[in-house]
Amino acid sequence: MGKEGAGVDAEDRQLLRAFMHGEESAFTALVIKYRESVYRVARRMLGSHEDAADVAQEVFIRAHRALPRFDGRSQLYTWLYRITVNLCLDFRGRSSRLPLLDDEDGARDRSGVPTAEDEAEAREAGRLVARAVAQLPPRQRAMTVLRLYQDLPYQEIARIMGCSEGTVKATMFAALRKLRRMLTEEGVRAP
Amino acid sequence: MTDRCAEVLERLVEGVTGTVPPDERAGVAGHLAACSRCRDEAASLEAVAARLRAQGRFVAPPGFWEEFMRRLAGRIQEERMPAGARLRRWLASPRHAVGTAVVTAVTVLAVFAAIRTIPPPPDPVVVRARGLVTATMTSSLPSLGEMLDTWRAGLAHETDAVVDLKAR
Repeated sequence: MGKEGAGVDAEDRQLLRAFMHGEESAFTALVIKYRESVYRVARRMLGSHEDAADVAQEVFIRAHRALPRFDGRSQLYTWLYRITVNLCLDFRGRSSRLPLLDDEDGARDRSGVPTAEDEAEAREAGRLVARAVAQLPPRQRAMTVLRLYQDLPYQEIARIMGCSEGTVKATMFAALRKLRRMLTEEGVRAP
Repeated sequence: MTDRCAEVLERLVEGVTGTVPPDERAGVAGHLAACSRCRDEAASLEAVAARLRAQGRFVAPPGFWEEFMRRLAGRIQEERMPAGARLRRWLASPRHAVGTAVVTAVTVLAVFAAIRTIPPPPDPVVVRARGLVTATMTSSLPSLGEMLDTWRAGLAHETDAVVDLKAR
């Protein structure tokens, strides 16, 4: 880390310092802290567990290599999300295909779905929503995932995507309108 | 659509995704109360955002994280190996064995072919003999050059032995 960052939260700063002093276990602690968030972003972006798992591995490999150069001006998770989103955008570019949706019904942490019928309906709606998200252009999809699923503020999303906050908002607006049109065509109702 | 509608629509995305700054909330709410068009737009976009958020969080399958950490530790360890050791391991892995064999075979063939196509250095004795051949000799004996080559190929050892004896 170049500057001991004002942007990094205290716990991360401590772990980063330990890692820089050669404590490999500090890196493991950081991975454990952020691995699920990284995986979820990749999973939403790519649509398949296997692809998301591969990207998550690559994110932490690159982070391990680049941490000594991390300047600490942003939060560590912003930096990790940036690596994740870039790898996902690249991944799609290389494979030039839409995200796989075959395991879209895979393990999800849903609560309060009482009957089998409701469950089936929720699954179908989930599948259609995931398909609509998958059809968004990659950058719109990334911003939608970061805002609606990861709950990141617009300012952080702008840092991750390397653009202005205004661009993120305008892109999100376009994405929501597109999603509304696609979901209306599919007959998906509000929850 | 009024100018105010356009302004409010810009703020709407923050509203429907839950982040309108507090000092702007009242203004946006006031406009929505008075403008049915913007109200409808806000309601439908909010429904889309809610629909997306209603999807559960993805959870990795059981046992996945243990395997993930094991694989990650292995890859990090591998990155620390010296480059030569990594290359040897890469070449020896079954996944790359066929590729390695093919590349080796192609390299050997290419080297062999290159050696064969390079002409051998000229024989110094023949070069010396050719220097003595005049145009008159060539016109009366057109295959003199070929004869010299044949002579050198068949009699070189003996001739060299004679030359050696003379030298002594």
